Amino acid sequence: MKAAFKKTLLSAATSIALAGVAVHAVAADTIKIAMAGPVSGPVAQYGDMQFIGAKMAIKRINDAGGVDGRQLEGVVFDDACEPKQAVAVANRIVNEGIRFVVGHLCSGSTQPASDIYEDEGVMMITPASTSPAITERGYEMIFRTIGLDNMQGPVAADYIIHHAKPERVAVIHDKQQYGEGIATAVRQGLEEAGVDVVMFEGITAGDKDFSGLISKMAREKVDFVYYGGYHPELGLILRQSRDAGFDAQFMGPEGVGNPDITAIAGDASEGLLVTLPPSFDEDPRNADLVKAFKANDEDPSGPFVMPAYAAVQVMADGIEGADSTDPYDVAEYLRSHTFDTPIGQVAFDEKGDLKSFRFVVYNWHKDGSKTPAN
Amino acid sequence: MSESLLYFFQQVINGLTVGSTYALIAIGYTMVYGIIGMINFAHGEIYMIGTYVTFIVVTALASMGIEFLPVVLVTALAISMLVAGSYGYAIERVAYRPVRGSKRLIALISAIGMSIFLQNYMRLAQGPRDLAMPGLISGGWDLSGEGPLALSLSYMQAIIFIATLVSMGALTWFISRSRTGRACRACAQDQGMTSLLGINTNKVIAITFVIGAMLAAVAGFLLGLYYGVVNPMIGFIAGLKAFTAAVLGGIGSIPGAMLGGLILGVTENMTAAYFSTEYKDVVAFTLLCLILLFKPSGILGKPEVEKI
Amino acid sequence: MANIKSAFFSALLTLFLGVSVMGLQLESAGIKLGVQVADSHTFWYLGLAALLVFGVQLFRDKLPRLRSDPEKRFEWPEVFKGEQRQRMWMALVIILMLMFPFVSSRGWIDIATLVLIYVMLGLGLNIVVGLAGLLDLGYVGFYAVGAYSYALLHQYLGFSFWEALPLAGGMAALFGFLLGFPVLRLRGDYLAIVTLGFGEIIRLMLNNLTELTGGPNGIGGIPKPTFFGLELSRRVDEGWGTLHEFFGFSYSPVHKVIYLYLLAFLLVLLTLYVIRRFIRMPIGRSWEALREDDIACRSLGLSPTWVKLSAFTLGASFAGFAGSFFAARQGFISPNSFAFIESAIILAIVVLGGMGSQLGVILAAIAMILLPELAREFNEYRMLLFGLMMVVMMVWRPQGLLPMKRPQRRLDTTRLASASTGEASNVK
Repeated sequence: MKAAFKKTLLSAATSIALAGVAVHAVAADTIKIAMAGPVSGPVAQYGDMQFIGAKMAIKRINDAGGVDGRQLEGVVFDDACEPKQAVAVANRIVNEGIRFVVGHLCSGSTQPASDIYEDEGVMMITPASTSPAITERGYEMIFRTIGLDNMQGPVAADYIIHHAKPERVAVIHDKQQYGEGIATAVRQGLEEAGVDVVMFEGITAGDKDFSGLISKMAREKVDFVYYGGYHPELGLILRQSRDAGFDAQFMGPEGVGNPDITAIAGDASEGLLVTLPPSFDEDPRNADLVKAFKANDEDPSGPFVMPAYAAVQVMADGIEGADSTDPYDVAEYLRSHTFDTPIGQVAFDEKGDLKSFRFVVYNWHKDGSKTPAN
Repeated sequence: MSESLLYFFQQVINGLTVGSTYALIAIGYTMVYGIIGMINFAHGEIYMIGTYVTFIVVTALASMGIEFLPVVLVTALAISMLVAGSYGYAIERVAYRPVRGSKRLIALISAIGMSIFLQNYMRLAQGPRDLAMPGLISGGWDLSGEGPLALSLSYMQAIIFIATLVSMGALTWFISRSRTGRACRACAQDQGMTSLLGINTNKVIAITFVIGAMLAAVAGFLLGLYYGVVNPMIGFIAGLKAFTAAVLGGIGSIPGAMLGGLILGVTENMTAAYFSTEYKDVVAFTLLCLILLFKPSGILGKPEVEKI
Repeated sequence: MANIKSAFFSALLTLFLGVSVMGLQLESAGIKLGVQVADSHTFWYLGLAALLVFGVQLFRDKLPRLRSDPEKRFEWPEVFKGEQRQRMWMALVIILMLMFPFVSSRGWIDIATLVLIYVMLGLGLNIVVGLAGLLDLGYVGFYAVGAYSYALLHQYLGFSFWEALPLAGGMAALFGFLLGFPVLRLRGDYLAIVTLGFGEIIRLMLNNLTELTGGPNGIGGIPKPTFFGLELSRRVDEGWGTLHEFFGFSYSPVHKVIYLYLLAFLLVLLTLYVIRRFIRMPIGRSWEALREDDIACRSLGLSPTWVKLSAFTLGASFAGFAGSFFAARQGFISPNSFAFIESAIILAIVVLGGMGSQLGVILAAIAMILLPELAREFNEYRMLLFGLMMVVMMVWRPQGLLPMKRPQRRLDTTRLASASTGEASNVK
């Protein structure tokens, strides 16, 4: 991971240096794309996913001759996933005259930053922020290449109602925007179908000891637990449940669906249900791309890698198709066309969300692999 | 036993375990405070470094094929204490000794700076993501009842509880009986006078920090094994709770740290058990405010005497 | 070469510290944790670092000392002395600050606005920590109260920024007053932890009361301040219309940023002025009296209760103003913006500035916010450097950048002579 990251940095530095040479030769001919996300701070690992995807797209588009003969140039901006810094970053991006942004990562940063982009006519595509609130404000310039929390919730609820058919359900979340959003959507779906949700509680992200919560769920005779949040906490909950002899069925969103959960929970991760977008890196059509990532010693399986790639590609296609670098023209073009990307056919609705983004329920296994459930 | 009684006792055991993890870290906090009167905000970070070193040693030994449990545990504990002790020493020299003569706030800011520094230092050294290690000691006793509702106590829970008691006892013995311990207490009373009596106060304070750091490493080792995960942020969160526990019990008092930790742990768990997990921290902090309202220097703390 | 032994020891220690955590890299390979020896670069760098430490320690005596002399006070150059001249300089600075946004770029104006918010926060906390000597680690709680007051008043009752601003300050002051009560008996570190706990309680409650505050989703769509009812935006649905239409100039989004900056600047000026007045009033003097000696303060007939409460209340109200301004600048707030680290940064500003000194707080806020921004090129190392800077600053100048000077007036000797004859009344 570390070595991979260093290599990424190195290759990024080289490519930026090379791009710098090119800039001097044909200064007007590059199109700058800002990549905004956390380089530092506690969620930097997710930022990494976004950056490697976007950088790969830029590199491959440039290798293929660029956009209308013009090269793309990626510039990284660090918002550390802090709303305060995100606003500063957005202002700097506007200041530097960049008209296209891939990012931000955390919904909490994307939301205030997108206000500025919309105002300034800068086009933003987030490959990672899943909060529905971002596109609910009728903005023209804001798009995303990832599903929404409220798309994933119903899929999970549907599976629980029709396949798992539990008696008593607990819905747990980590009291953060992403986790609570999905958990609320799941609870709503379940309650509408008359499933008994006996517990709906938030834990504190970063906590390590969940024995109290587990005893409580055991006492409530819960036989199905839905957890909205990320893998570190669910991993520990699984592990401690196993130790306490609490053997309910667990389920989580895509934030828990990466091999790290098995690293934390070990055998206890066997049989965990996860809603995930179909794994793009296993799609045979992306074999070539996956090989390119692997050659760079980068991991293409992260949930935000391919959406970030798609975001850059859609931008490039949009610029080419609209034959203009005016973000308004490009936005117009994006809304009215369909694009073929590593995440499949991409089409945007009026709000800038994907028209369809499929989630699939997977069964997780103790060796870190997954198979489609049902 | 009836079901609700079993549940109650299970939650007490859970609370006591969480409480002893707080206490284990709080003891180091309170010892440094008791002797030089400064809040060592970077204490939680030393704990985090201890956990990382434990992970490194255990994994390295495993990759060399050494998996005999006692050897692994003793080596990991010894090395993480050694490393943490060195960090404690170095931090004291670099960040605290130069500001010792100044106001206490200066040392506090320096310590907060050190804490931010160490967090990011480890993030660069070992990467930002959560690393996990399989548990080395698993299993436990079923004390009463069976199935998921049984009253159970895992071996790790028992070990943590005992380790906390042992560290507390050893430290109390060290402070009250040993020669160096006496020098420590003398320093706590009056540094100027102590140095006049021919005791190297710089050395005594350095020793205090090294011991405090080693205690943090013990906590890092045990909790690393218990929870099996580590990331650069764990020190900050744990440190804040431990600090709260130390103040609750009366900062500077070693039994106080233990008591404060246990009260905090049990309160949190009881809130989660009978009210809501979301409010456990709110209740914990409210309890802290209330106790300090009636006992302004903590439960076992000595009231500050106003000298006129 | 008397230092050779200690130099050798230090170099060895450096090497050991580095190798012990960096020599072996933990890696999760799939689902298993693996470990591998770090690449040779790491060891070269560590060796270099050890060599550097060795050198520094060896020639320690010959190197200039890092620590500045605490006895040496900062003296203003002659051109800054005298009330008349100082006023002139101040006017000049104000004019320069007012001109700044028109000659600068958008990114910098925005950073400057952020700095001004922290100046406001620093000045407010300065009352509590610097002047009254009460260590407050939960100041961010009042900042949050201010921000949420505006956001909630807007969301539920449709208040505008200008209507909400005084209420936000008032709400924060109320919370400061409420906190003041339980902590009256506490001292030193006990006070610190209770204020820290209070700040955490506020953040957790904002996060938990999802129905009211939106919980972790925060509150979005908070409008920017208006200019006497005129909005600064491209178009507007209702109300008086937009500023650019009213005055007939073309719209540019930069205006909004400039306007925010100017507002922040005015608020800072106001804060400065008000607090400056307070410091010179009896109440300000009683804060300092309390800081210097609790008991003497009481025996002189000052009520510590009242003095502490007033410091907490006033300090909190400024955080409230800053908070509602922050909400307006962001347009979106969530509890994440009000974590403990913010309190630590604000406290660091006050201490670094030189407790109690207003000019010091301003300089420190600039240093604390601007330096990390400048270090953006080192994205990865930014927070590392920030932590290091806090330590180095404390070691270098424990008394702060500009230690506080009490307002004082020197008596000239001729007046003194007449004063001793009984005309003491007009001498301060």
